[in-house]
Amino acid sequence: MPKVSIVGRLFIEPTGRPPLTSIKAVDASGICIATAETARRRNDGNRGVIRELWAYRELAYFLAWRDVKVRYKQTVLGLLWAVIQPFFTMVIFVLLFGKLAKISTDGIPGPVFYFSALVPWIYFSSTVANAGMSLVTNSGLLTKIYFPRIVLPTAAALGNLVDFLVSSVFLIGIIVYYEIPLGWNLLLWPVLVALLMLLAFSLGAFFAALNVKYRDVKYALPFVIQLLLFATPIIYPASMVPERFQWLLALNPLSGLIEGFRYVVVPSHALDWKFLSLSVAVTVVLFITSVAYFRSTEKAMADIV
Amino acid sequence: MTNSIEIQGLSKRYRLGSTQHGQMLRERLVQIMKRPFGRAEEESIWALRDVSFQVGEGEVVGIIGRNGAGKSTLLKVLSRIAYPTSGNVKVHGRVAALLEVGTGFHDELTGRENIYLNGSILGMRKREVEDRFDAIVEFSGVDRFIDTPIKHYSSGMRLRLGFAVAAHLEPDVLIVDEVLAVGDAGFQKKCIQAMEGLRNSGRTVLFDSHNLSAV
Repeated sequence: MPKVSIVGRLFIEPTGRPPLTSIKAVDASGICIATAETARRRNDGNRGVIRELWAYRELAYFLAWRDVKVRYKQTVLGLLWAVIQPFFTMVIFVLLFGKLAKISTDGIPGPVFYFSALVPWIYFSSTVANAGMSLVTNSGLLTKIYFPRIVLPTAAALGNLVDFLVSSVFLIGIIVYYEIPLGWNLLLWPVLVALLMLLAFSLGAFFAALNVKYRDVKYALPFVIQLLLFATPIIYPASMVPERFQWLLALNPLSGLIEGFRYVVVPSHALDWKFLSLSVAVTVVLFITSVAYFRSTEKAMADIV
Repeated sequence: MTNSIEIQGLSKRYRLGSTQHGQMLRERLVQIMKRPFGRAEEESIWALRDVSFQVGEGEVVGIIGRNGAGKSTLLKVLSRIAYPTSGNVKVHGRVAALLEVGTGFHDELTGRENIYLNGSILGMRKREVEDRFDAIVEFSGVDRFIDTPIKHYSSGMRLRLGFAVAAHLEPDVLIVDEVLAVGDAGFQKKCIQAMEGLRNSGRTVLFDSHNLSAV
């Protein structure tokens, strides 16, 4: 008769509904001899994540609100910083890549060409960086309070949206200044923003989960982001890349999105829809895999971080 | 009487060594190279071993033990922060865990902002915080400084503000970890009254302490 011990995992629902348990019986050598499951499993993939996030939406909102508040506390210029950063980057790009290196801007005025790409790029890079560090910087919360951990990278993606919107308003000013007529393409904008958020969140959540265990992420992350700046058509148009390397550029989901953001403000700018569709597909795959990875590491986070 | 908390055969094991504090990828790779088919070598400690007990609805239970006895681990497992290695835990109703006073307080934010943030972290809805805001400020006694960033607060003021938010939670089950040891004598009395108020309203309270007289 083998000695049997019960190894159970248990989840407590906040509403007081009956808990969901999965129980595994193992013998003394650790071999599983029986499993029993009551009710549905909590780890039911992406649908479960969305339900949990919805239940904790107020916490996500307050954490995002905290990030925005804290970012501009004790600053004189406050939210203006959201414009200053891309503006001066754009000026340098115009001088360096436009005037000096004479890289094509596909006939779009330099400031419009660079700024329209810099706005989503800055959102992307700061969200991946902030979300990637979110679990470690909030380790005080992680070890003291229960909440779905996915709330933290979500809050980073929401908080950076404020800066994104402020710099987008400034972009409208630039477009008006260059007298570029706006068209129906503008309707694509909210879709692109949603995709951009999803992409930045997915990568950020993945790095965040990895960072809990391997602090190497802290060093790898800025480096990866820097490389991505060059692998994305920001300082050059996608059309400049030779035909046989186009597929490589298209594999970077950010390429299609950035080109899309240009298309939204400059209707004459040709948009490769195949390009954008591939970006959407890659984004969805990244979202599913990174959320699955996040969920698989979630339970041990408070013990490791 | 129905049970609020049921624990059966609960065990929690922690690994010792570098994995506890984040492991370098390189170390893990070296380990895999050395023993490609073995599992990672690790020492471990059982913080909890086969713990079983029940707490009835409306009971106030104190847990006493030496340092390192596993009190905090038990409360962490009960509040869902840490997952048990084995065993079953059932907690019925809305749970609030106070393992620390003022969890998530941010130095740069004002007292007012921190009340909202902390309340939300502890699981209060925005409406609930709004409704109880005046009572929280009154309880904390820092009303004059409510719009000052808390980095300028004394440590006593911070603790009072943190406990004031916590005292206005309305959970079915409250889990408290040694937070009673805050503030001056007058404030401690206020806290104990708040706890008694909770008990009288039929809530289950589980708290731990070194201090036998507090229990």
